[in-house]
Amino acid sequence: MRPLALGAPGVVSAFGIGVEAFDDAMRRGDKGFRAEVTAFAQPEGPLSVAEVANFDPRPVLGDKGLRNHDRITRLALVAARRCLEAAAIKREGAFVAPFTGEAVGVVSATAYASIEAVTELDRVARLEDPRYLNPGRFPNTVTNSASGYVSIWEGLKAFNVAVTNGPTSGLDVFDAASMYLADGRAEAALVGGVEALSEGLWRGFDRVGMLDRGDGKGARLGEGAAFFAVETLDRARRRGVTPGLVVSGYGSTFAAPDDTARLVTPSAEALREAIGLALETAGCRADAVSLVIDGTNGYEAHDAVEAQALGALLPGASRVSPKMALGETLGAAGSLALVEARRRVAAGHRGPILVTALGYYGNASALVCQGPENLA
Amino acid sequence: MVERVFITGCGVVSSLGLGREAFWSAAVAGRSGFSPVEGFDAAPLGRTVAAQVKGFNARDFLSARECTQAGRAASFAIAAARMAVDDAGLAARSLETPRASVIFGTTMGEADVIARLDHAWIDRGPEALSPRVLPKYAPHMAPMLVARHLKTRGRVLTLPAACAAGNYALGFGFDLLRSGAADVVIAGATEMLQDLQYAGFVRLGAVAPTRCQPFDRDRQGLIVGEGSAVFVLETERHALARGATRLAEIGGYGLACDGYHITRPHPEGSGNVHAMREAIRRSGVTPAEVDFINAHGTGTRANDEVEARVIETVFAGRKVPVTSVKSMIGHCMGASSALEALTCVETLQSELYPPTMHYENPDPLCPLDVVANTARRGPARIVLNNALAFGGYDAVLCLAQPDVLPPPSERGS
Repeated sequence: MRPLALGAPGVVSAFGIGVEAFDDAMRRGDKGFRAEVTAFAQPEGPLSVAEVANFDPRPVLGDKGLRNHDRITRLALVAARRCLEAAAIKREGAFVAPFTGEAVGVVSATAYASIEAVTELDRVARLEDPRYLNPGRFPNTVTNSASGYVSIWEGLKAFNVAVTNGPTSGLDVFDAASMYLADGRAEAALVGGVEALSEGLWRGFDRVGMLDRGDGKGARLGEGAAFFAVETLDRARRRGVTPGLVVSGYGSTFAAPDDTARLVTPSAEALREAIGLALETAGCRADAVSLVIDGTNGYEAHDAVEAQALGALLPGASRVSPKMALGETLGAAGSLALVEARRRVAAGHRGPILVTALGYYGNASALVCQGPENLA
Repeated sequence: MVERVFITGCGVVSSLGLGREAFWSAAVAGRSGFSPVEGFDAAPLGRTVAAQVKGFNARDFLSARECTQAGRAASFAIAAARMAVDDAGLAARSLETPRASVIFGTTMGEADVIARLDHAWIDRGPEALSPRVLPKYAPHMAPMLVARHLKTRGRVLTLPAACAAGNYALGFGFDLLRSGAADVVIAGATEMLQDLQYAGFVRLGAVAPTRCQPFDRDRQGLIVGEGSAVFVLETERHALARGATRLAEIGGYGLACDGYHITRPHPEGSGNVHAMREAIRRSGVTPAEVDFINAHGTGTRANDEVEARVIETVFAGRKVPVTSVKSMIGHCMGASSALEALTCVETLQSELYPPTMHYENPDPLCPLDVVANTARRGPARIVLNNALAFGGYDAVLCLAQPDVLPPPSERGS
């Protein structure tokens, strides 16, 4: 992959809106989990989610134009707006030279998009009448809707690419962006991911048996969005810009589960191969990696697979698990992991950082990033 | 060295039939894939026609176990992928390598799965949500199941680019091969039709009563469809080494986003103009060399007018033959531009332009050379596949007969 320079991020997480809130909480070791949820009706029994509690996009986006937007779109729009401002691509709604709308693209990850919108409209059709479906909300059911709205709100026209690949989506977008940017399709891109809590999403994971229902066993769902302003490292250097983080390696592989496997079957083999590819493309030896930001989320069956792969390849590296503070944020997890990597680099970490994501069905992705000081 | 990328195999599941021959013979004959909606009651919506795949037996392509795990969209995808691999003459185990990837597009994936789950939840409460069924819903499951079926080991990726998803997937596969990240890519798109999507399109005012008339003055909208088309893409070196038949070369593609409206194209088609010019430029050719355009041609008033304006702008008034096969296969949402890419491949192979059916009264606002109602023979060395989508997406693919395009080093980037 062509190395990418990551500028300032825009973040919405369980710690609130803004990268400062994220950094402060992660530095303190806070956890974003709560026993109450505001995004949907409180379910029966114990609950723990990392929600953006009482999320209100209006202070960032204003009052107008939000009526038909679902939660995932609102999260994406707030993170995108904050990113564009932080990276000085836009100021007070206008592009800052040398950036133009035609030269900036979007690559955005989600794992499940708007289950909220699908279930909402299904209920209208089932309980009332399909003729009552709100045509203003129907587009929210389409998987790339939130990504498309980012371009519409911000005038980002070079390209808009949505990626959905389960929990690996948030890393896969950075390699996709690398291809599009290296190919000269844009000068820069907003790259990141988003996922929103909804009752349908929560009940789905709960029924599959992946969630912690008070016994400490299982994952806890989260939500959020994070976008980085991304350009190729070459271009950043030509502009004389020092990035906060450089992504230099990526790998993604698939190991076919056997015919009797369930549809939730992670693969240590795929993760090992993905890590190997990521290190190879970064030109980095495994023993040079001292820090791994992994996808551990509390769901034991998956965490064990990830631990097995990492233990075999990087036995000496320290591991941190942002999902244990931010929840399982699915499509947003990859970019939130890179926000954490950027924080650690800013705090003094030196050397390559490996970021891993284990898919639910035989797929896995890994990415190598580092601070700019390590690069020749 | 940047390599040429070729399509060496195609598979298709459509309302016109299964497999290349059935699809293409029906398309050039102008046969309609439209029929009364089955599977749900559309009558209250005032529309009763769709382009559904009928007579598809998943068990003809999938194992019994796969049939229990794959939803309808994934079943279409596996069947089309199986046909594509067979069409390419790839040996059974030749895809079991990290150098073989699967890239797919879709709009919503298994929309019927989540609908069934929702209905169970509404009717019987959350305990009725089946843990076995839930994982089938994920929009990325179709390519994962294709990858398992073919035992590929490279990356598997889903690009949910709505109605342009097929072109996105083919473009991404092209990039993987050209950049040296893969030797073979199974690329395509899949979509199944269910009641929520159908009702949504009706509520948007986009669905015609009985037929789809792209570019006609009296057009009334689209007919919603479903299906899948899948392609084997290979680097030239890989294809030649195994003696594969090169069906078409992918010259390049163009992307843009209107950034204008979630469902309506930009009135001047600014993004589509850019994407079309990029597809041509990146293929190392000029507009004067393009022989045929497979239009997005939904049959809606807004789309067809804008698309005609785009073609007029890019080709500076030159009348290029234009067809919309949506007049026969309907608007298959995420699968549409993949099915239409197959139309392009067959056009390159046969030098026969399929017709735009039900074209009766030319629309002065769509001053195009529409291939009206009967297939037309003509040169087909270089063709375009145009696609627009929800979200303001624009994606245009340029395909050519083998050995027509300049070498990659002489193309734009």
